[in-house]
Amino acid sequence: MAKNNMSKLAKREEKLAYRLLLPTVLILVLIALYPLGSVFYTSFTDKTFAGADKETQFIGLENYKELLSITIKELPPILDENGKQKIDPKTNEPMYERAIRILPREPRRYKELNQFTLFGKRYVIGATDPNFISAIWNTLVFTVISVALETVLGLAIALVVNSNFKGRGIMRTVMLVPWAVITVVSAKMWEGMLQPNRIGFFNTVLDKLGIGNGQIAFLTTEGLQLPSIIAVDVWKTTPFMALLILAGLQLIPDTLYEAAEIDGASKLRQFFTITLPMLKPTIAVALVFRTLDALRVFDVFQVLLSSRKYSMATYNYFQLIGNRNMGLASAIGVIIFIFISIFAVIYIRMLGVDTDER
Amino acid sequence: MRGKKKTGYIIKKTAFYLLICFIFVYMLFPFYWAVNSSLKSEAQLQMTPATFVPRDPETKAFSPTFKNYISVFKDGQFIRGLVNSTIVATSTTILALAVGSFAAFSLGKLRFRGKKPALYVILAMTMFPQVTVLAGLYAVINKLGLSARLSMILSYMLFTLPFTTWVLTSFFKDLPVEIMESAQVDGATPFQTFRMILLPLTAPALVTTGLLSFIAAWNEYLFALTFTSIEPTARTVPVAIQYFTGVIARQEPLGEIMAASVIVTVPIVVLVLIFQKRIIAGLTAGAVKG
Repeated sequence: MAKNNMSKLAKREEKLAYRLLLPTVLILVLIALYPLGSVFYTSFTDKTFAGADKETQFIGLENYKELLSITIKELPPILDENGKQKIDPKTNEPMYERAIRILPREPRRYKELNQFTLFGKRYVIGATDPNFISAIWNTLVFTVISVALETVLGLAIALVVNSNFKGRGIMRTVMLVPWAVITVVSAKMWEGMLQPNRIGFFNTVLDKLGIGNGQIAFLTTEGLQLPSIIAVDVWKTTPFMALLILAGLQLIPDTLYEAAEIDGASKLRQFFTITLPMLKPTIAVALVFRTLDALRVFDVFQVLLSSRKYSMATYNYFQLIGNRNMGLASAIGVIIFIFISIFAVIYIRMLGVDTDER
Repeated sequence: MRGKKKTGYIIKKTAFYLLICFIFVYMLFPFYWAVNSSLKSEAQLQMTPATFVPRDPETKAFSPTFKNYISVFKDGQFIRGLVNSTIVATSTTILALAVGSFAAFSLGKLRFRGKKPALYVILAMTMFPQVTVLAGLYAVINKLGLSARLSMILSYMLFTLPFTTWVLTSFFKDLPVEIMESAQVDGATPFQTFRMILLPLTAPALVTTGLLSFIAAWNEYLFALTFTSIEPTARTVPVAIQYFTGVIARQEPLGEIMAASVIVTVPIVVLVLIFQKRIIAGLTAGAVKG
C-alpha cells in the first residue's frame, strides 16, 4: 500500500518536473534548434555569405581539413662542398633548407607555422591555415590564464565583501562596475589607456616611474599583446565570478563555522575544510560559464588587436565578414562548440555538478 | 599579553582596509578614466602626457567641459536607446528568471528520468559563438515576424536562460532536502514548496543571476545591431552609441562615447545599490531547525 502510494507520488513528481521544464525547452527549441542545426549543416558546404553567384555544394569535411590540417616535417641541413653544414655568416646559426620547399603543396598547401629543434634535428610545423591554428592557441592561452586569475581574484573579492565592515554595500556595488561597462566601450577605454605614447595612461605612469620610454606599444609588440588582453579581460569579468561566489557563500550555514570555531579550527583551516568544499558547485557553474565566454572571446580581441592577432571567434568573424566564407566560418563555430563541450564536460565531471547525491 | 593581541588586531584591521582600498581603486580606476575622458574636449584628449583631471592645455588649470554630455543628451536617439534598453533588459531578466527558476527547481529538486541529458542540452544551446548563429537566428525571427524589441528579448534567451537555469539549479540542489520533506509532511504540494519556501530561500541567487542577466542583456551588441537594422527606433544604447557622429568628420568622438558610457553605467550602478542588500545569507540554517 505504502509502496504503491510512493510510486504514485513519484509519478506526480515526474509529471510536475516535465511541466516545469516545458517553457525552457519550448523557448530553446524555438530559437536555438534551427540556427544551431543550420550551423552544423553549413559547415559541410562551401556556402558563401551574401553571394548568389554560385551554387552551394556539399563538400563533406573539406572545411575542417582546410582549418585543422597540420604536418611536421624534418628540415634537412644545407651542406657545403665538404659535406659539412653551412653556417649563416650573419647570425652564426647553422643553415637549414627553407620550410617552404619541404612542406607539401598537394593536395593542400601547407604554410609554415613554427620551427623547433629536437635531438639536434630541425623540424618545421606546417598548417594549411596557420592563422587559425595560432588563433586556437591564442584562445586557449587566453582562456586558461584569464579564467584562472578571475577565479582566484573573484574568490578573494567575494570573501572580502562577504565580511562585515563599514561601506560593504558600496564595495559590493563598486565591485560590479567593470562588468556593468559595455564591453565594446570598456575595450575602447582600455585602448585609450594602452596608447603607445603618453596620451595613454599606462605610458604616462610608467614613464613617470622611469620604466620604459613612454613609447611602449602594448598592442603591437608580440610579447605584450596577450598579457594586455588578459589584463583587460580579468578586470572586466572578475566581478562576474565574485558576484556568483558571493551568492554561493550565502548558502553556507553559519552553524558550520560555529562548530569549527568550537573545535578550535583556524580561519585558514575553516576556509579549506568548509568554505571551499561548500563552494564547489557554485565555482563549477561559474567556471563553466566563464570558460564558455572566454573560449568565444570576441570584443576585446576585435577592438584591441583586430587582425594583428586572432582569437577563434574573431577569426570566425573575419572569415564570415571579410572573406564571406560562410561554410568555413560555420566550421569554426562547430570547432569552438567542440572545444567548449570538452571544457564543460571536464569541469562537470571533476567537480561533480551533475550528480544527484552529494 | 593583551597589548600584543591588540596590536595584532590593529595590524589585521589595517591590512584589511588596505586590501579594500586596493580593490576599490582596481575596480574603479578605468571607469574613473572614462569619466575623466568624458569631461575633456578634443584638444584636451590629445594632450601628452595625459592628465588625471581635465586641464587647460595652456594654463594647466582644472577645466572640465560638459559639452560631451550635452551633445549626448541632445541626441534624441540616445534617450530613446535608454528607454529601449530598459524595456528589453528588464523583460529579458524577468522572463529568464521566471522560466529558468521553474526549470531549475525541476532539475535541482525533483526526481525524474532524463535529468542529465536535459542539463547538457540546455547548456549546449549556449555554446556557439554569436556570430555563427546569427544568420540562422535572423531567419527564425523573420519567419516569426516579431517586432525588433521582441526579437531581442527572445534571442537574448539564448544566453540568459541556460545561465539562470544552471546557476539556480546548483542553488536549489544545495538547499537541504529536509525543507522539502517537512513541507510535504505539512501537506504542501511540491509547487507550493517551491513558491513559498524554496524561492524565498534562494533570493541571493535570484538577485545575483538577475543582475548578471540584466547586465548581459543591457550590454548586448551584435544581436541588437542585427535586429534593429530595419527598425532604427528600437535601437538599444550599445547600438545607438555606435551611431554617434563626431564633431570632426570621420573622427571617432571619443569624449562623447565616454560620456555616453558613463551615463549608461549609472542606471546599473543604482540597480546594484538597491539590490545588493538582498544578497545576504538566506534563512537556510534556521529553516531546517524549524
